[in-house]
Amino acid sequence: MKIDPDYNCPFNSDHTPFGDVVLSSRARLARNLEGFPFVNRSTTSDCIEVTSLLSQICTKNNSNLQLKWIEMDELDSVTTEMFVERHLISSSLAHAIHPCAIAVGPELSRSVMVNEEDHIRIQSIRPGLQLTDVRDDVHQLDLLVEEIISYAFDDQLGFLTACPTNLGTGARFSVMVHLPGLRLVKDLERVRRACEGMSLAIRGYRGEGSGTMADLYQVSNQITLGNTEEQLCNILSEDFLPPVIEWERKARMTIAKEQSQRLDDQTFRSLGLLQNARILTPEEAMNNLGNIRLGISLDRIDTIEISTVNQLLIEIHPGHLRWKYGKELDDDELNTRRADLIREKLGQ
Amino acid sequence: MTSCDHCDKPAIYHDVRIANGVHNTTHLCAEHAMEAGVSLGPIDLSVVLHSTENAISGDISKACPDCGMTVAQYKKTSLLGCPSCYQTFSDELNSIITQVQNNNTQHIGRAPAQASVDLTRHLQIRRLLKKLESAVSQEEYEQAAILRDKLRELHTSGEPNEN
Ligand SMILES: [Zn+2]
Ligand SMILES: [Zn+2]
Repeated sequence: MKIDPDYNCPFNSDHTPFGDVVLSSRARLARNLEGFPFVNRSTTSDCIEVTSLLSQICTKNNSNLQLKWIEMDELDSVTTEMFVERHLISSSLAHAIHPCAIAVGPELSRSVMVNEEDHIRIQSIRPGLQLTDVRDDVHQLDLLVEEIISYAFDDQLGFLTACPTNLGTGARFSVMVHLPGLRLVKDLERVRRACEGMSLAIRGYRGEGSGTMADLYQVSNQITLGNTEEQLCNILSEDFLPPVIEWERKARMTIAKEQSQRLDDQTFRSLGLLQNARILTPEEAMNNLGNIRLGISLDRIDTIEISTVNQLLIEIHPGHLRWKYGKELDDDELNTRRADLIREKLGQ
Repeated sequence: MTSCDHCDKPAIYHDVRIANGVHNTTHLCAEHAMEAGVSLGPIDLSVVLHSTENAISGDISKACPDCGMTVAQYKKTSLLGCPSCYQTFSDELNSIITQVQNNNTQHIGRAPAQASVDLTRHLQIRRLLKKLESAVSQEEYEQAAILRDKLRELHTSGEPNEN
């Protein structure tokens, strides 16, 4: 399998419904094997037994899944970093020192993490609003595993997980949403309150230590017990997203109508900066790309495809740049490469 | 009422980090919390999971018979040690589960199908045998008897012509 991060960008929402607001959808299932201690109390030999069991399952004759099995200690640091940026693995798995592994689909959207906080974390990420599809993806992988081994399960508590916050379904569904309009009209508080009322958690998309970048927010179910997988999914797709998408679209229209000068200034200031800068930090690049994305969605810019911007929101991260231009690059060199790549893609 | 570190509005997000013995507290209003990108939701997980002093009381040396984890250790990590811990510490965990799961206590989602090739049972037997060996060698006969019963149970629950 050739790993190509240029292929199938998880943010490429341009042809999906509501892709102007929803960039990507994710699902994750937490599972543990019966008869083993959880990972935090596993010995090295427990971890090895679990990985070898899972490697048999993930690589057995499953032609339609085509998962590639990779032991984490065999994965080079750049690909590891790139996988973290695409949410295929968590950063705690990337830094783990115990035996752990990942099975990943060739399209880089499905993955099975082995020996993360739980023995098994099944994941899928797709561009745009595709919650039903990612739910099906993880369900399919779930069936593949449970056909062969017994999960730790309790009739009352559901799937037993190392942390009580994942009990029950073990399922976490999330969407990445772009909310620049609501920030500009100062109405993000409404979104936060909506989350609170629906037992959803919201957090800004952020780099290392910095604040929310590019007005991107990730929203996910906070509870996992007492609802079916479908119900948890529907809280996002039926209760939360329809009003929020409407608020965001309305806010964007309001800005276009009532603050068009400010919008133009923000859009073309960002465009000028990105088309000319020679050094760009991740934060500066992300925030200005977010502004351009808003400008494109309001027809202020017609020379740049929104898919180009969506792709850049992933490609400009350090792991992706190192993967493309060389693993030795330090932060200063990355800032230069980032600016070069953006100039090339947003060329006049 | 605490106000935000950056403005006068009431804080809705509170965080305490201890680094090198120094407490770093953060209080943010809704707006500044959204800007900072911190995780916000109806349940303050860091409060529920990390200040469990009140939630978990009683004997902190109580240990799980399967993995050896104690209440004291759970308090440090907020992670259980094995599936049996949920039974062992059910009294202690009750209020935590109720809080983090927003008063839900009964699973209604899907249940796993019966595995057709039950590799786990074989492994379980192997693990118990290992434990039994070490219990006998350390002359912990009481523990050994418990393990032997468990093994017997596992054998009878499996296919009749297997051992
Ligand atoms: Zn504030
Ligand atoms: Zn235990």
